[in-house]
Parts: sequence; structure tokens; C-alpha cells
Amino acid sequence: MDDFWFEFVEITQSVGDGFLFGSTYALIGIGFTLIFGAMGKLNIAYAATAIAGAYSSLAVFMLFDVSLVIIFIVSAICSAILGYLVYLACFRFIPVHNHLAALMASVGGLFFIDEGIVHATRGSPLNFPSMFSEAYFEVGPYGIRGDLLFVFFIGLISTGVLLYVLFRTRLGLATRAVAQQDVAARLCGMSIHSTNSTTFAVAGLLGGIAGAMTAAAVGILSPVMMLPLTIKGLIVTVIGGLGSIPGAIIAGLFVGSFENVVMYFRGIDERDMYVVALLFIFLVFRPNGLFGKTITRD
Amino acid sequence: MLEVKSLSKNFGGVKAVRELDLAVNAGDIFGVIGPNGSGKSTLVNLISGVFPATAGEILFQGQSLSSLSPHARVKAGVARTFQNIRLFPGLTVWQNLWVARNSAEDTRAEGISYRWFRKSGPVKNEIDAMLEFSGLADKGDELASSLAFGEQRRLELARAAATKPRLLLLDEPAAGMNHDEIRDLDKRIRQLRQQGMTIILIEHVMDLVMGITDRIAVLNFGSKIAEGEPAAIQENKSVQEAYLGQSDGD
Amino acid sequence: MDYYLNLINTIGIHTLLGLSAYVLLLTGQLSMAQAGFFAVGAYSASVLTVIFGWSILPAIGLAMLITGFLAFLVGFPALRVRGLMLVVATLAFGEFVRLFFHNFRWRVTQDGVEVGPDGTMGFSEIRYFAEHGWTSWEVASLIWIFVIIVMALIWWADQTRSGAVLRAVGEDELAAGTVGIDVTVVKVAAMTAGGVIAGLGGSLYAHQITMLDHHAFTVLLATFAIAYPILGGVSNVFGTLVAVIFIQGLLVEGLRFLGDWRMLLFGALIVVVMNLKPRGLFDSQTLRWIKNVLRLRLSRRLS
Repeated sequence: MDDFWFEFVEITQSVGDGFLFGSTYALIGIGFTLIFGAMGKLNIAYAATAIAGAYSSLAVFMLFDVSLVIIFIVSAICSAILGYLVYLACFRFIPVHNHLAALMASVGGLFFIDEGIVHATRGSPLNFPSMFSEAYFEVGPYGIRGDLLFVFFIGLISTGVLLYVLFRTRLGLATRAVAQQDVAARLCGMSIHSTNSTTFAVAGLLGGIAGAMTAAAVGILSPVMMLPLTIKGLIVTVIGGLGSIPGAIIAGLFVGSFENVVMYFRGIDERDMYVVALLFIFLVFRPNGLFGKTITRD
Repeated sequence: MLEVKSLSKNFGGVKAVRELDLAVNAGDIFGVIGPNGSGKSTLVNLISGVFPATAGEILFQGQSLSSLSPHARVKAGVARTFQNIRLFPGLTVWQNLWVARNSAEDTRAEGISYRWFRKSGPVKNEIDAMLEFSGLADKGDELASSLAFGEQRRLELARAAATKPRLLLLDEPAAGMNHDEIRDLDKRIRQLRQQGMTIILIEHVMDLVMGITDRIAVLNFGSKIAEGEPAAIQENKSVQEAYLGQSDGD
Repeated sequence: MDYYLNLINTIGIHTLLGLSAYVLLLTGQLSMAQAGFFAVGAYSASVLTVIFGWSILPAIGLAMLITGFLAFLVGFPALRVRGLMLVVATLAFGEFVRLFFHNFRWRVTQDGVEVGPDGTMGFSEIRYFAEHGWTSWEVASLIWIFVIIVMALIWWADQTRSGAVLRAVGEDELAAGTVGIDVTVVKVAAMTAGGVIAGLGGSLYAHQITMLDHHAFTVLLATFAIAYPILGGVSNVFGTLVAVIFIQGLLVEGLRFLGDWRMLLFGALIVVVMNLKPRGLFDSQTLRWIKNVLRLRLSRRLS
């Protein structure tokens, strides 16, 4: 009976920690889904720009020893700039209906950024300042890590700000209009390219925050984080439903919990296998994800 | 040949087709007309299997079509053209016909070699004949995307005919055509009927419809408001109202 | 000499990889799973030769069957997802396979030595060719005989109605159904064929390189697989071959002096090419242009 209780506590602890960490996946998922919602295309280089943002904020930190608020801001801004560049390089000049070419181009962008970082850092992982890591709250048999709580909090605030921008500002309105009917939007005088590049920049801001969050929670920054983050971000986006922000949030938190519990039972080597398997189950039984809009474009 | 019983199709809240009843006899050229949005294209999509009906039945030669996928319906003998041409742009004219043609027959009877190479006898002859029929004899190796609009329309028709259907659904084949092209279309539709096909013609171009059809059904807002021979339809008051709107005090 | 033979072998094996993606691309399915099938072929054939002592050709044959069957199974759920979603799904599948083999242990003791795949330590000692006295030339010939056979088969199929049917499905699935083509059969068949070809490539790869590590089967390989037919265009198989020679020969090997900057260049190159020629380097327009130019040159020569 004691053993069962112990197991139970351990499992729910994993779920809780994973849930908090899942906020990073949620943000990445939102970023992917924003771009998909606005343009109908996937930006495979997205998670890479997020991590790259975290790297630039680390560089700033190492040079100027700034406070952690600045770190997040720098990461967000750099990631947004990088996101805009990715838009120019991989999406702006490719014919709108050609999803293949844009996808391939963004894959090229992913490799480019990945290699670029590897060269800049000589491939070795770097320590990222972790925040509130000494804080540790004990609630009954559970321990809540301060750094995870902090990360979750940032995620919450960012999402709140994003939703405010999307639904209460003109920019957000324009983005949603373009997402729903780009021909009509153009006829109303909206510039597709400036709206799309703004979407990329906004997604980039989110990504930069997510990148810094991930690095802060894990304590390390390494280029090998790019690919798993990309794939998990994609999985979250798909499970949540392409184009759906609430879906991405819920899916992100869910995947975070899920993978942590799996890791508890099967160890870190097998963990990602199960996350991927989760994707299949969704694709077979609910290909539109939880809240997917079937985006029909002609 | 074709019976439509109480057919309905809803798209969310929109009732595109409402409890429609139709009966088309073998060998007829049957017209379906009506203002925009009356459900004509939806009807074609339902018969050809692009999406399932919400309610009702479609019987082709006594057999229900509802369980059949689009390609199975073609094998059963129902073919269609598209209002906004859907050729295979990257394939040549010849290839467009080729992929459609062999689907229709029991190719085993021809032997394997005849199925494959375009150089072989019966296949080549048939497709060449179809190209003749459509006035595209010298365009066999051109990409479908490089054809002029009128030529594309002719190819679209020929491709549907290539599946050797018993029932051919034509979805506004005359749209965008000039007078000469319409006369040419009229001729070719009659030729197809002579070859044994039953034809359902969805159209807006009244000259064509009135001149070629045996019977016409008129749709408005998804329901049938009139049916009969062309002359009768032209006189029909409710048809006039549907197209032109009601006049005051008449 | 061995260096060049190695390059030739890599080009051959990657051509098979590219062709497996090519067949799928014809039907409009962009699959990032080919690296996964490649891995399955590699591990299956190696297990057969190393653990069960099979001879190379039967091992390759069975590996192709296994991979083909797996691809067949994948083909069905793949039908339910379109376009970009298919890319995500196949990407995830490829990762799943890689992670699976990363954890795959099957050790047996032969003559006092432990052999077989060893989980995170990889699968080494795939020494069939060495143990049976194959020269490097013989290995290269084996690989290229297979490449030529596969290319010839695909080229031949493209001259027949089957090729046109595949392409019709790739151009417009709805229209294809409307002319009586069973789109499901065509797409699943293409997926299966692609799997078989990738399995063949993987089997040859494993024995040529004598050791397998999960790092070989990452998204990078999956990207190479589709980069070849996208770059080379889907008009014909030679485009894929040229793309492989270009990317592997020029980029990976030829720019070796650039050291580790090659990957950077590869990424940048993809971006540039996709912007300039979104339909691939050898799309049908370019091919016709080439044909016309050649015809002009020839007629000038003759006159």
C-alpha cells in the first residue's frame, strides 16, 4: 500500500513537472500553428530560430551580465528578426501555391541555422543561466521546482499578450483576415506580404521566449536541441489541430506531461519514441487534431 | 437509366439539394437548368460521388450508387466533366485520354502488351480516333496545360467519353464558348448520343439546351420547379419567375 | 582509388534512396519516411547476414520484402493525411524508426564473439563482404547493377500507362478518381514500391559501410532523400541521378576542403534553388528547352 502511494506520488509529480515544462511546447506549437493558419505552410525552421534566439540572449548575458527579463526580451527580439529573415529567404518569393518548395526551403533554413550555431559555439553545449532554480516549494509530498514554475508563468503571460494582440488589435485582426480569406483581404487593400511577415515576426517573438524558456528549464543550450524541439513542436501542432491556438496550448501541456511520465517508466532513450507513437494514434483516429480547422483553400 | 429519389444534400445549414426526384431514360439527352445556386453542380457531384448525399437515393440501371466510390462509379458507367476544367496539366493530351481509356474495359482480353505501349494497335487507333473526334489530332504530344481554352474544353469532353460511360454528366460544357464553338459542341454531343450514351446536360446557355435536349428539369434553390419538353419549359411561368424574378401585377 | 570507389558507392546508394522518394513524389506524396525504410532495410539485411548467416542476395531480398510490407502498412494511414500533414507524419515515422533501432538489442554469440545490434552502441561488424572475399570493385558493381535495374524499371514503367496513371494521381486526385483510377490502390502501391527500393538501398548501405548507427538515419538523410527528386525534377529518373551526383559529388565531397562549412552551404543552396526553380532543376519546361536547344544544334550540324 505504501509502495502504491509512493508510485502514485512519483507519477503525478512527473505529470506536474511535465505539465509545467509543456508550456514551452505549447508556445512552439502556437508559433507553428500561427504560421500555418496565416499562410497554410509549415515553417520547419521555426524551432531553430527559437533556439537561435536563446543563443543570442546567452551571448548578451555573457557579455553584459544582464538581468533575466532582458534575457527573455533579447531572445524574443532576435528570434523575431531571424523569423523575418526566414520569411524573406524561404517564403516571400516562392509562388504561393507551391507548398513543397517553401517547405524544402525552410528545411534548408533549418540546416543553415543549425550549422551556423554549431560553428559559432564549436559544437559544445553551453550553460544557460537557470532562474529561480534554488526555489523549491513543498506542497505535501510534492515538490514544485521554482524554475519550472517560472517558465510556466512566462508562458502564461506570453500567451495572454498574444491573444490580446490577436483579438483586440488591428494587427491581429488583419492577421486573422488574411488567414481566412487572403484574396478578399488583398482586395480590401491589405498587403499580404506585410501581414505575413508580421505573423512570422510575432511567431518569432513567441519562439524566442519559448527557446529561452526551454534553455532556462534544462539549464543547457545545445544545437542538438533544435531537431527534437522541431519535431515535438510539429507533433503538438498536429495533435492540437493545425491552425488552432487553444489546441496547441492544450496539446503542448499534454505532450509535456505525457513525455515526462513515459520517461519515468521507460527512461530517456525510449521517451521520444512514445511521443512519436502518440502522433500516429492521433493521425489515424483524429487526423484533424483536437480542434483542427480544415483549412480549405483553392 | 438513372433515377434520383428524394435526394438531399446539406452543407452545414445550407440545403443545396432538397428532396429531388428525377428520372432519365436511356438514350435521352436530359437538360438540367436553373439560376445560379440552384444546386445543379451539387447534383452532378452527388451523382458522380464527389461527396455523399445527406439523404435519398441514386439508382443507376436499378443499382444504388451510394456505396460506390467515384472511381467505382466510373467503372459502373457514369462519367462527368468539370465546370472549371480539371485536366491533368502536366500530362500530354494523349496521356490524358490514355489514362481514362483503359479504365473502361476488361484489359485482360487485350493481352498485357496492348495495355502498355502507346505504339500498339487497338489502343493507339482508339485514342487517335478520339483525338480526331475532338479536333485535336495534331496536338497529341502537347501538354494539356498549353492548349487553348476551347481545345481544353474539347479534351475534357473527350476524356470523359474515353471511359466509355453509359451515362455522361456534362457540367456547363458551353461556359465561355463563342457561337461557333457551341455549334461544334452541339454536334459532338449528338455524336456521343449516337454512340449509345445517355447524357445529362447542366447548362446556362439556353440556345444549346433548348435545341438539343429531349426533356428538361428546372431547379431553383435545390428543388425541382418544373420538368418537361423544351417548348413547354420555355412557356412555363414559374421558370420565368425563377430566372427573371417576379413581376408586379402580372 | 578506394576513395573514389567509396564516392561512387555512396552516389549509387543515395540514388536508390532518391528513387524511392521519386516514385512517391510522382503520386503527389512527399514522404520524409524513406530514411526510415532505408534503416529498416539496413538492419533487416544485416541481422540476416550476421546473426542468421544468410548469403547476401537472399538477405537483401527478404529485407526488401520486409520493408515493402512495412511500407504497405504505412501506406494506408498515410492516405488519411494530405500534403503538409503527410510530411509531418512521415517525418515522425522516420524518427520513430531511428529511435527504435537506437534501442534495439539482439546479441548472439558466434565463435565466442558477441555480434548483433547493441542498442545505443550501434550495430557493428557487418562484415559479410570482407568475410566472403569480395573486392571493392565487386561491391561497387553489385550496388550499381541494382541501381541500373531499378532505374530501368522505373523508366520503363513511365513509358507505360502505369506511369501516366501515377502522374495523373499526383496532378489531380479528384480528377483521377473521375476517370476511373482507384487512387487508393495507386498511392499505396507507390508507397510500397518506394519502401522496397529504400529497403534495397539500406541493405546495400549496411554491408558497404559495415556498421550502423542511428545517427545515420536522421532527418538529414530523409531530407537528402526528397531533395534529390525535388532538385532533379519528377520528369524522369535521370534528373534524380544528376541531383545525387551534384549534391554528393560536388557538395559533400568536392567541397570537403571547406570542412564543416559544407552543411551550411547545403542549407543555403537548398534555399537558393527553391527560390529560383521551385519546380525543381529539371522540370518539364526546362527539359523541353533542353530538347529544343539540342535539336537546333543538331540541325545546324547537319546542314
